[in-house]
Amino acid sequence: MTLLELKNVSVHYGRIQAISDMSFSVEEGEIVSLIGANGAGKTTTMRTISGLLAPSAGSITFAGQDITRMKAHIRVVQGISQAPEGRGIFPGMTVEENLDMGSYGRKDRTKVAEDLERVFDLFPRLKERIKQFGGTMSGGEQQMLAIGRALMSNPKLLLLDEPSMGLAPQFIRQIFKIVTEINNQGTTVLLVEQNANQALARAHRAFVLETGSITHRGTGKELLANPAVKEAYLGVG
Amino acid sequence: MSTTDGPTLIPDDASAQEIADREAKMRQRKGWFPGLSDKWNALPRQTQWLILIVVVVLAYLLPILNPPLITTEPGNNWQIALAQMSVYALVAVGLNVVVGYAGLLDLGYVAFFALGSYTAAMFTSPDSPYVHIPYLWTLPLAMAVAMFFGVVLGVPTLRLRGDYLAIVTLGFGEIVRILATIIPAMKGQVGFQNVGHPPGTDSSGQTIFQNSNGTPWYWLTLTIIIVVLLAAGNLERSRVGRAWIAIREDEDAAEIMGVPTFKYKVWAFAIGASVGGLSGALFAGQVGFVNNQKFDIATSILFVAAVVMGGTGNKVGAILGGALVAYIPLRFTAIAEFKYLIFGAALVIIMIFRPGGLLPARQSLLAYGRLAYNKLKGAVGDIPPSGKVVLEPGKGADK
Repeated sequence: MTLLELKNVSVHYGRIQAISDMSFSVEEGEIVSLIGANGAGKTTTMRTISGLLAPSAGSITFAGQDITRMKAHIRVVQGISQAPEGRGIFPGMTVEENLDMGSYGRKDRTKVAEDLERVFDLFPRLKERIKQFGGTMSGGEQQMLAIGRALMSNPKLLLLDEPSMGLAPQFIRQIFKIVTEINNQGTTVLLVEQNANQALARAHRAFVLETGSITHRGTGKELLANPAVKEAYLGVG
Repeated sequence: MSTTDGPTLIPDDASAQEIADREAKMRQRKGWFPGLSDKWNALPRQTQWLILIVVVVLAYLLPILNPPLITTEPGNNWQIALAQMSVYALVAVGLNVVVGYAGLLDLGYVAFFALGSYTAAMFTSPDSPYVHIPYLWTLPLAMAVAMFFGVVLGVPTLRLRGDYLAIVTLGFGEIVRILATIIPAMKGQVGFQNVGHPPGTDSSGQTIFQNSNGTPWYWLTLTIIIVVLLAAGNLERSRVGRAWIAIREDEDAAEIMGVPTFKYKVWAFAIGASVGGLSGALFAGQVGFVNNQKFDIATSILFVAAVVMGGTGNKVGAILGGALVAYIPLRFTAIAEFKYLIFGAALVIIMIFRPGGLLPARQSLLAYGRLAYNKLKGAVGDIPPSGKVVLEPGKGADK
């Protein structure tokens, strides 16, 4: 079943077009990766899906419902949750306060406690750091917190914007392993990455973005083998 | 927050200790009295209440005690000085909701103060041709008027962020003052005399609330401050308060956590405005005279300075800051002319040595921390310090 569908979406910053006529869909249960260079429109795409940016043309459908004009905070309740680029954690709040904010829109408190256990199972490190301020944690820990916080809203679709940014290589592998684990537990994942190797290896399907448009699409394995993608994004050729 | 530092995967004791040290140091750096807020939070509930009661009783006794050295006499009447200090403290508490909690820089707060003053004046002063109502009724009315204009100003402008919002509010502050000058009904510089006061006479038949006697005004304002503080404290710990803190820390992140950021920003503005209006009405009653001269931009900046000096986001700090801003020029009359120079210098010095203000705001976040913990875990009780957290399995956190 199609969970998310973008149809002919364009996004402008003032007069500058960041995304032009983009269409793609995410099926339920998938991991989908968007890869591309700086300025290709990856983060813009994410912010448009989460509702922080409004498209200038086109439509976005989520779980059969048109959400093109829906406010970001309502999309969270509908099941779209984002771990934003640069992690966006609340620096002056502790780990537990950050996680609590993640469940802000929810009323089912017993389920929230279960989800907290789930987050602590995925990221035992957060449990150790529960009283620490978000701003004083290392980059990797902040990324864990950002993903954990996004999971606290029990999303159907998890948007991850460059989870590997600025992390040590060993840690990038760990994050991607956890992303697969989250997906195995039943959450659909849309991933934006510059780290194309890992992103393609983990993805069921993937898209390559160049200056606001999709130029290649296919399964993760197909794109990994594609010579053009290899040359441009995988550093071999 | 470097983006390049990878984490060590398994924290050894040394690095855990290092982090604990770093945090302890951060806490220490925040206080003249190291760990004051931690000590306060560690006290048992009863002791906290006892200390609070003593402080409140002392505050009520201030006009009678007239403590030497602290007093503004000779030069300025101590009771009237207290009344003015309390009004400024109330202003700071209100502005703290906007600037401190929600992180919206409002440079035109004096406009709401002015609206409150004019509401009180125009409905009670014999100079006003309009309908007259008892003074005490003007207090809620002033709040309502200011709140209404807070929403009117907030709805279009709160889509702006940061500097843009500050500039628009700055303009709004001027608009109200200029309107007071050019609208004939608001009487410009002539103003309104004999603004009303609460009813009541003492045993000798004298009016209790006289303009020349600050004590009853001080007690009235102090009582209102306590009520507003209790309300603000409750708000702070509510869903609304958590939303404000999140908006202040990162507005986009708050929005994608499911916080209706725009709605809560308008709320912060409206609530702040209503307290501003209330303090304006009290000010008008105590002084007894309202004209357009008292509501200039400098006063607005002074209000912001009070909040920043006291500790942005801390309601107790705001009271301290507000009272100080009113107190210093009254106490040191010789330097009163240079008050803006002095406040400017004081702000620079405070920002260098105590960037969080005299009483930094972490206290209030800690209160939220306890709440967050209880909500998340459904477990009540003390939480061991970081690193040694023992969590019970989720026990069902329904409320």
